[in-house]
Amino acid sequence: MSNLLPLIQNETLKIWKKKRFFVILFILAILIPIFTYAQMRMAENNKDKFTDWRSQLIQQIADYQNALTSDRIPEEWKQYRRIMVQQLTYYLENDVDPSAPNAVTFTRGFMNNAVTLFIPLLVLAIGSDLISGERSSGTIKMLLTRPVRRWKILLSKLVALIFYISLTIISTLILCYAISGVFFGYGGWKLPVFTGFIINGAEVDTSGVHAVPHWLYILMQAGLAWFSAVIVGLLAMMVSVLVRSTAASIVTMMATIIAGTILSNMAAAWDSAKYIFSVNLQLTSYLEGAPPPIEGMTMLFSVGVLAVWGLIALIISFGVFTKQDILN
Amino acid sequence: MATDTQRSNRSDAAVLSVEGLRKRIKGKWIIHEVSFDVRPGEIFGFLGPNGSGKTTTIRMLVDLIKPTGGKVMIGGYNVQKQPEQALRHVGCIVENPEVYPYLSGWENLDHFARMQPGIGQDRIQEVVDIVGMDQRIHDKVKTYSLGMRQRLGIAQALLARPKLLILDEPTNGLDPKGIKELREFVRMLASQGMSLFISSHLLSEIQLMCDRVAIINGGRVLAVGTVSELIDENASYVLWQVDRREQAVALLSGLQEVTLLGQGEHGIEDAVLTAIPDAIITTVAPGAIPGIVQKLVAGGIGVEAVQKVSPTLEELFLKLTEGEGIV
Amino acid sequence: MNKRSRGGAILWRTIASAAVLASLLLLFGFAYAVSDILRPPALVLGTEPPLAGQQPQLGAKEELKIVAIGDSLTKGTGDATGEGYVRRVVAGLSQKLGNRVKLVNNVAINGLRTDQLIDKLQQDAGMQYALKQADLILFTIGGNDLSKLAQTALRTDSGTADFGAEEIGNQLSDGLGRLDQVFQLVNRANPDARVVYVGLYNPFYPIPELRSGSLQVQKWNDKAYELSFSYPNMKLVPIFDLFEDEAGTYLASDRFHPNSEGYAHIAERIVQMLH
Repeated sequence: MSNLLPLIQNETLKIWKKKRFFVILFILAILIPIFTYAQMRMAENNKDKFTDWRSQLIQQIADYQNALTSDRIPEEWKQYRRIMVQQLTYYLENDVDPSAPNAVTFTRGFMNNAVTLFIPLLVLAIGSDLISGERSSGTIKMLLTRPVRRWKILLSKLVALIFYISLTIISTLILCYAISGVFFGYGGWKLPVFTGFIINGAEVDTSGVHAVPHWLYILMQAGLAWFSAVIVGLLAMMVSVLVRSTAASIVTMMATIIAGTILSNMAAAWDSAKYIFSVNLQLTSYLEGAPPPIEGMTMLFSVGVLAVWGLIALIISFGVFTKQDILN
Repeated sequence: MATDTQRSNRSDAAVLSVEGLRKRIKGKWIIHEVSFDVRPGEIFGFLGPNGSGKTTTIRMLVDLIKPTGGKVMIGGYNVQKQPEQALRHVGCIVENPEVYPYLSGWENLDHFARMQPGIGQDRIQEVVDIVGMDQRIHDKVKTYSLGMRQRLGIAQALLARPKLLILDEPTNGLDPKGIKELREFVRMLASQGMSLFISSHLLSEIQLMCDRVAIINGGRVLAVGTVSELIDENASYVLWQVDRREQAVALLSGLQEVTLLGQGEHGIEDAVLTAIPDAIITTVAPGAIPGIVQKLVAGGIGVEAVQKVSPTLEELFLKLTEGEGIV
Repeated sequence: MNKRSRGGAILWRTIASAAVLASLLLLFGFAYAVSDILRPPALVLGTEPPLAGQQPQLGAKEELKIVAIGDSLTKGTGDATGEGYVRRVVAGLSQKLGNRVKLVNNVAINGLRTDQLIDKLQQDAGMQYALKQADLILFTIGGNDLSKLAQTALRTDSGTADFGAEEIGNQLSDGLGRLDQVFQLVNRANPDARVVYVGLYNPFYPIPELRSGSLQVQKWNDKAYELSFSYPNMKLVPIFDLFEDEAGTYLASDRFHPNSEGYAHIAERIVQMLH
């Protein structure tokens, strides 16, 4: 560990000086205001339609309750509606407008949408360059002729990568909150959010549903997004070890991630697609109780699948990198 | 290939010892058999044309490529088995001096200094002074010229006070002044007790810089020996410029130690010959030149110039393979 | 020189500590999320603090705000157009009064009985809030209480004789007791609003064995009138006569709820009596 620390320092500083992380911050700083503006327009539209969110909420509750009285609706659905009624009633009783955008709900929504595509792409900006960047610049020859074992070099790069993944996600949160707060206000940290839905096939098991404060929900969400991002990082590192050029490495990873997003939208019938890593990236949707892309997927399943992919990527990365001949 | 006599020359204190190194890539043998030693304080040349296996061999010396067979020992440690110990006392530049363009020169040195314990800021300043880069060391490397990068590369290689410095084609891309400076620099380092391993495809360069040389072609070491043994004596042409050419030719052809060469029998570059179109081209047995000059003068022939000319590398190989019977 | 390298060290320490902190935080979030899914804590809705925010005040009444509560009749069940009487009243009133009329909420729920309505009036913050805003409250209730009675009566006719008129009478007066409570609660929720209670009718009139149910319905309506009479802002609108023909002209295909024509007539009466 004692001689690993300076190596991590090297890799961390290199990524910093390469300005990759600035690029990420720059992208976030450009995109978040755009989304904030879109959200603001939507909120304004809604305001025109419904003068009072409480009346809207009351009506929604009544609609759900009427649905509950119907015999034609299956019991599972009713259960879900009961939860919804409970949740909406809760908002009403606590006088919180659930649809009112505030910085926290915006952050939550952004995170939830960013986890499958946006954050992985940001991770690739750093991860895909990890080894192939050194190789295309030739500096790998300098790096590997120093009296340091190769696995240490790779490990230090991996640690630096995880550092920046963490920083990326925290920065995303902070920027989201800071920018959207200007327009929507900075409140909402204690707003309860319901979680704990377990979806089994067509059934929603709501026995575990409970409310958590918003800040905790966002932390959970960020943690899950982080896990997804680390797995993407590990795979990017593997591809970066295997492929010579950074461009090829980014394209390879992007193709698989985008393919996963497309597949999760259309491959509900293809059962074994659920073992593809990119189909499992949206861990945050399990928190929301949204139905999974393929039947039978649960959070544990997805975490497990991602972990296996990550482990394989690690084994291949280290196995190849420590034995590889540096020919060019 | 190393002969028995050369083997016996091997000193136990060799800084770098290469034994039976072989490498197969994708079923093809790139390096068949490479063995040589580099002794403390000597400048060792590694001569071979492009594609001869020079670079592959060098990469095996510094653990960039894993050999299929044989071993490389540096300072008594096996590079493949104990890379941390073996590479501790090696500085190297493989091909171009690759440094991080987005870091400053100092940051680059700092980066490599951190990879090894015991190299402080003082040492970085020291190597910066050695290569004379104090002026621009804090500028970003992407603003450097090739020569400056070369210096930075050398500074990096010197950081750990290496016992052995490996330079791969160090004169590539340098102007004549730069080459001259490099040569002096190499001499200076060697005088301080450092061993240098310098590869090149240019015979003249090795001749000017090195004490001993290994000649490699087709993945085999053809010969290892001192520069004078291998190049100066074994494979040089002697050009005679005399006032009475006919008589001189007649005289020289009668001597046993002289072989006259006609057109097409030699490999001297045309550029050399156009300057002295009427030169008599010969090869001469080692050490015979003074005697022959006397004989010419005694025969009433005025000797205007006697010039030794290096053959091309190909020719040297041909000579070496003929001489030692290697296929 | 040393300053520069120290700058690098500070940069590294800053990045590293921020990154380590971020990683630990996110790792905690991840672990918490996974354990939360594995062992979800029990639902804690009940223990949350009750109504905290203050209710907003009504604005200037430049428009008439209507809130409808009650059962399927208010919901508009059986109306193929989906309008029910509530929307028709909204339309009719705005035509008649010439000012803006707005349906704020229709929170009627199919199958609601007096006891359930009492619960809602007492506990449902949403309903409270809705009623508070209203200038006019429309409501129906009791139909489901009585139809339960009718089912009891049916059973009585088809066999067990010991379930007699007395039992029915008891249940009726229980229901009326609850209706009293409903009136009180509605009045308490918003004493300033005008309240229209739509009386009951006997949907089983076309069925000869159940025709006598009309008598029970009438008892209910009588008592309801009496109850409403004590509140100056409450009115009862009778509609039982609309549904007392053998053909069931105004009944929907379910033979229980009014059809759209029936709802139109109910609305007509409400609009007529409001000035």
